[in-house]
This record gives sequence, C-alpha cells and structure tokens, in this order.
Amino acid sequence: MYKYVFKRIYQLIIVFFLFLVTSYVLFDSIPGNAFQNLLLNPELPPEAYEQVIKLYGLDKPLTERVFLYIGNFFQGDFGYSYKHYPRTPIDLIAERLPRTLMLFAMVNIVAFYTGFLIGKILAWRRGSKSETWITVTSVFSYTIFYPWFALMMLWFFGYKLDWLPIGKFLYPEKWYDAPYDSDVIFVSMIKFTAVVSILQILVYIFTRNIESLNLRRNARFAGFMVLTIASLFYWNSGDLLIQKPYAMDIAYHMILPIFTVTVVAFAGTALLTRTTMMEVMKDDFILTARAKGLSQRRIRDRHAARNALLPVVTSFIFTIVTIIDGSVLTETIFSWPGMGQLILQAVLEEDIPVAMASFSFIGIFALIAHFIADISYAYLDPRIRIQSQG
Amino acid sequence: MNILEVKDLDMSYKTIDGDVEAVKKVSFTVKEGESFGIVGESGCGKTSVAMSLLQLQADNGKITNGEIIFDGKNIVGLSESQLREVRWSGISIVFQGAMNSWNPVVKIGEQIREAMREHYPDKTKEENTKKIIELFDIVGLDSSIIDRFPHELSGGMKQRAVIALALSCDPKLIIADEPTTALDVVIQDQILKEIRKVQEVLGLSLIYISHDIAVIAEMTDNMAVMYAGSIVEMGKTDKVFSNPKHAYTKMLLESTPSIVGPKKKLRSLDGEPPSLINTDSYCSFSYRCPSPDDNCRNRNIEMELTKIDSEHYADKCCINCG
Ligand SMILES: Nc1ncnc2c1ncn2[C@@H]1O[C@H](COP(=O)(O)OP(=O)(O)O)[C@@H](O)[C@H]1O
Ligand SMILES: [Mg+2]
Repeated sequence: MYKYVFKRIYQLIIVFFLFLVTSYVLFDSIPGNAFQNLLLNPELPPEAYEQVIKLYGLDKPLTERVFLYIGNFFQGDFGYSYKHYPRTPIDLIAERLPRTLMLFAMVNIVAFYTGFLIGKILAWRRGSKSETWITVTSVFSYTIFYPWFALMMLWFFGYKLDWLPIGKFLYPEKWYDAPYDSDVIFVSMIKFTAVVSILQILVYIFTRNIESLNLRRNARFAGFMVLTIASLFYWNSGDLLIQKPYAMDIAYHMILPIFTVTVVAFAGTALLTRTTMMEVMKDDFILTARAKGLSQRRIRDRHAARNALLPVVTSFIFTIVTIIDGSVLTETIFSWPGMGQLILQAVLEEDIPVAMASFSFIGIFALIAHFIADISYAYLDPRIRIQSQG
Repeated sequence: MNILEVKDLDMSYKTIDGDVEAVKKVSFTVKEGESFGIVGESGCGKTSVAMSLLQLQADNGKITNGEIIFDGKNIVGLSESQLREVRWSGISIVFQGAMNSWNPVVKIGEQIREAMREHYPDKTKEENTKKIIELFDIVGLDSSIIDRFPHELSGGMKQRAVIALALSCDPKLIIADEPTTALDVVIQDQILKEIRKVQEVLGLSLIYISHDIAVIAEMTDNMAVMYAGSIVEMGKTDKVFSNPKHAYTKMLLESTPSIVGPKKKLRSLDGEPPSLINTDSYCSFSYRCPSPDDNCRNRNIEMELTKIDSEHYADKCCINCG
C-alpha cells in the first residue's frame, strides 16, 4: 500500500510539472496581455520600457522563463497581478479558494452519495414502476443543458417562490458590521466539515468489528447522535457563537447551487451504478449470499452495491477534472465569487500571473482529489491493494 | 428417519420460447446420514433440482407442483423470512461454480462469519472465529486463511473454504452440485475425499450431484439417474451399478471407464438430450433408445418408476430396452 501511495505521489508530481509547463506556454502564446497594454503607452520613455521588460524578465527566451516561473512557483513567488497591483495572485486566491472548495466539496459529496443510493435502489427494484420512472427522470437530468437548467432553478426558487437567494454567497447588508471577514467564516466551515467527516468515518471504522448486527447499528446511531450534539455545542461556544449567524447565511446561499448541481450530476452516477449493479447481481457470490439466508438489504449493500462501487468510483475520478470548467459555469451563473470567476476574469482581462496561479491551484486541487479517489479505490478493491504491496 | 422427502416436484422456467420443464415429477428421499447421488448429463436438470430445494431458482423459474418435506415440514411456499431460516442452517450448498462463490472484496473469514451471525446472532466474534478455525482444520486449511481475500487463494483452497462455509451453520443437509468440475484432476480427488470424510465424520446427509457416474459410485449410498428433467432410475448405488435397468443408465455406464471389473470398450453417448420445452408425453428417451419399440413413440406413456426389487426402481418404459 505504501509503495502504491508513493508511486501515485511520484506520478502526481510529474503530471503537475507538465501541467505547469503546458499552461505557461499556452498563456504565453496568447497575443497581447494587460502588461503589454501598459507598455504600449506612447508616453513611456524607451529607457523605462527597457527597464520594465528587464525587471519582469520578459527579454529572456520562453524556455528560460518557463523554468524561472516553475522555480519561483515552488518558492511561493507568483509575481504580481497586472490588474490589481500590488496585490499578489496568492492574496487573491487565498480569498477565493475556500469559497470554491466549500461549495464543490459539498456538491460532489452530495451528488455522488445521492447518485449511488438511487442507482442501487433502481437496480434492486428492477422492473418495478418506480424503477422505470426514476430511470427516465435520471436520463432526462443527465442530458439536460446545464446552464439553462440552472437559470430555470434560479428563476423558480429564487424569483417565483422566493425561497432562496438569487446568486451571491451572502447578504451584504448582514455583513456591514460583521466582526469577521467572510474568508474566516469559510475557513471555519471547511475545518468543521472536514473534522466531522473524519470523525464520522472513524465511528464507522471502529464499529466494524462489533459482531452483533443490531449492536453495530445502534453503536453507529449513537456515534452519529454524539457527533450531532457535539456539533451543536461546538457552534454555540466562544468565537463560533459569533460566527454562527454568518456561517448560516453562507450555508443558506449554498443550498440552491448544491441542489442544482446535484440534480444534474447525480444522474450519471445513478445510471452507472444501476447498470454495474445489475451486472454484479448475476455473479455467483450473490447466489451464495442468498443461500446463506442473509437479508435482502445486506445482500444488496454488502455484496452487490459494494462491488458495483468499484467502476462507479473509477468514473467519478474522471469527472473530478470537470471541477475546473464546472466551477467557472456554476460560479458565473450563481454569482459565486470563487476560483472559477477569478479565472474567468483573469483570462478575460489577460491578467496572466493571476490566471496562471489560479489555474495551477485548481490543478493542484484536482490532482489531490484524484489522489484521494485513487487511494480510496485501492482501499475498496483488495486486489489492487495487495498487488501494489508486491 | 428421512431428512428430506421430495414428492412429485415440478419446476419450470418461463422463456420467450415457452416453458422449460427442467424438473418433472421428481420424487426421492434422503435418509439421515446418507449420501444421495444425482447423475445425468449436462442440462438434464440437476442444478434445477438443487436450486428448487433451496427455492433459489432463477427469477423466471417456478415450482409448479409438489412438496419438499425437509425435517418433517413442507418448505414449498414458505415466506422469504421462513426460507432464510432454512437456508444454510437447514440446507446448505456447495455450488457448481464454487470458484466464484466468494465475494472478491470481502475477507474469507468475514464471509463465513456473516452467515454465522445471521443464524447464531448471540455468538461472539471470538466464538465464531474459533469455530471457523475448527472447520478449516477439518477441511485441511490453515487458520491464516481467515484474513485472506479470495483472490489470494488457489482454486483448491477456495473450494475447501467453500466446504467449511457450507458447514459453518451446522446444516442438516448439504448439497454439493458438481463441486469439483472447475478443478484439476489431482485437486478433484483430494476434494472428493475431503467431502466424503466430512460427511462420514460429522454424520451429515449429503446430496451429491455430478455428471460423472464414476464419482457417484465412489461418493454415494443411494443414487438417482436423471434424464430430461425426470428420474429414470433410482436405488442403492451398488444395485444400480451391478444391475442397471434403464437403457440410459447403461449408456452412462458404458461411457465411463470401469472402476471395478474387467476392461470394456468405451462407448460415447450417442445423440442429444431432447429439448425440455413443451415436451410431449411419450418416452423422452425414445429418440436415443437403442431398441425403441413402436409403443415408445406413439403411445402416451407417463414416465413412471416401477419397482425392480427392494431399493431399486426404474422407468417402466425403458426397462427392457437396450
Ligand atoms: N434461468 C433459466 N431459464 C431458462 N432455462 C433454464 C434456466 N436455467 C436452466 N435452464 C434450462 O433448464 C435445463 C436444466 O438446466 P440445469 O438444471 O442447469 O441442468 P444441469 O445442472 O443438469 O446441467 C437446461 O435445459 C437449461 O437450459
Ligand atoms: Mg448443473
């Protein structure tokens, strides 16, 4: 397993390096940039012109600049924004990344989980009326034109019913005298979500060895309750009590984007789960499980769904890359000022350092997501786990 | 005491071409502690009989008639939850494709314990593990196998583990459906010995299914010969071997190298088994019968076993053929 992890990390580094080189060369080949606009100013004396060019290293050949850039990148130096001088790209990203991270982590978890759950039930209820209807609905939402659908959702829930906010990630009027920046709140929320997820997984792992099924179920439920109560206490203590209303405001703004993306994204997972699970259900070990007298639910979850999970996770790994274009689309439609919007603006304004840096960060983000998915895949499939030991 | 009595069992599969009558009026009994063999060429309905006993036939298969009296109780038509209790702790099975009987992503020990948890909910994990180790010992497996995944085991080991799995909930009856078909010859022999040993040591009732009549001779006390969904000859194994009555039984015997007795010329089985869809009510063997008389094909003959002597029965129509 360790060897497998190291091999993956090693591959990631190479991929990331290639990613940096490619993006740099691509950005460099875009004709003109915000910086050149500045230099084209006829009032600029030629000496100053020369000096600025030298200062930014723009007189060096492309190959040299690529390596210079990568070298600086790993030292944490991303230069300055052309547009927002003297802010650095890092500064801008630090503000935007948590917003995107929070939204897309939530969207992906919710969409994957819903998709898997629905797909599993569809396969199990094969041939029933409800199966037909849900399958048709899934195909519909799988093929729907996303931007149009998102706008319809905004119109319906935001305008017509007026249940949810139209766009933005907070109500600015609530934040006039907020004691915290929205970034701080975002970071608190991310920290909280991560810790709760990890604890939930730990509860699951520690209860695995309880032999009696009833006892195990009860222990898991108890663990869940304890976590919920602890969360309530946590958000009502000290600093967080002050942060709570602001966090709630952000969470409220997240509902519609999460719901919309989930409706579009769950279907792929659901349909794939349905087909693979129907394949798995033909396998001999399912018959063994039935012959053993296990309950339907256990056969479904433990044997059929557990094996169907493997190809579904593989396909999910591939969709992680769509975080990049997905975030641009979603953030634009829902006016969510995250990384997607930052990239879009930077590219439109030809603010190359910012565009480059945000691309790299989303790249890192996608690669890490890949890495986690890869590792969990190896965990899910013992055949890979064992192979990779040898 | 009879552990199992099957009476006039009919089972058929619905297909677009019509109903496949895979089990037709099958009746037999298995006594406590005995080993009962079912032999017949591939496609004659052996697996269908086995699956009917557990009521695990494919979704399109249905038991249309008959009784299965297991341990004094008719289990045909029981509810799913009642059947779940019978399965594994009453009747367990070693499947034909036993190599694929294991879930590839769950450890062997856990897959056995899972069955034990279902039938003995009060046992602790330690107790279950202890029992698995004992069973592994009986079938000749190392206790470390408990923590292995299926793909780490060889075919023979998987099959031994399957036998341990089948024994895990103290079943009263074990069905072994061609348990050695997928194994190489040496391992086959070991597994056969293992099953025989376990059956004798634990005093289990066993239904042993095979297409290989030589194996049946070795493994069973009583046997039935199946042809096209019906039992055509049945009785004490040595009686059937020493004095085969049905033309099909004779064909089977002639197609197998003799274990005892003088060398004979081997004959291959001529002809194909008939289609099981919408069978007419004349003797289904008449097409392959070496000496069919006109009656066989023309008259409406109901397949019926007739007594040859005590503990030996054969299909009335074919007793004198061949
Ligand atoms: N699910 C099914 N649907 C339709 N026909 C089936 C099905 N399963 C088995 N059969 C048919 O039933 C007959 C008996 O099959 P089976 O019981 O598997 O025989 P055996 O185990 O003796 O080889 C065969 O003709 C086979 O094609
Ligand atoms: Mg078979």
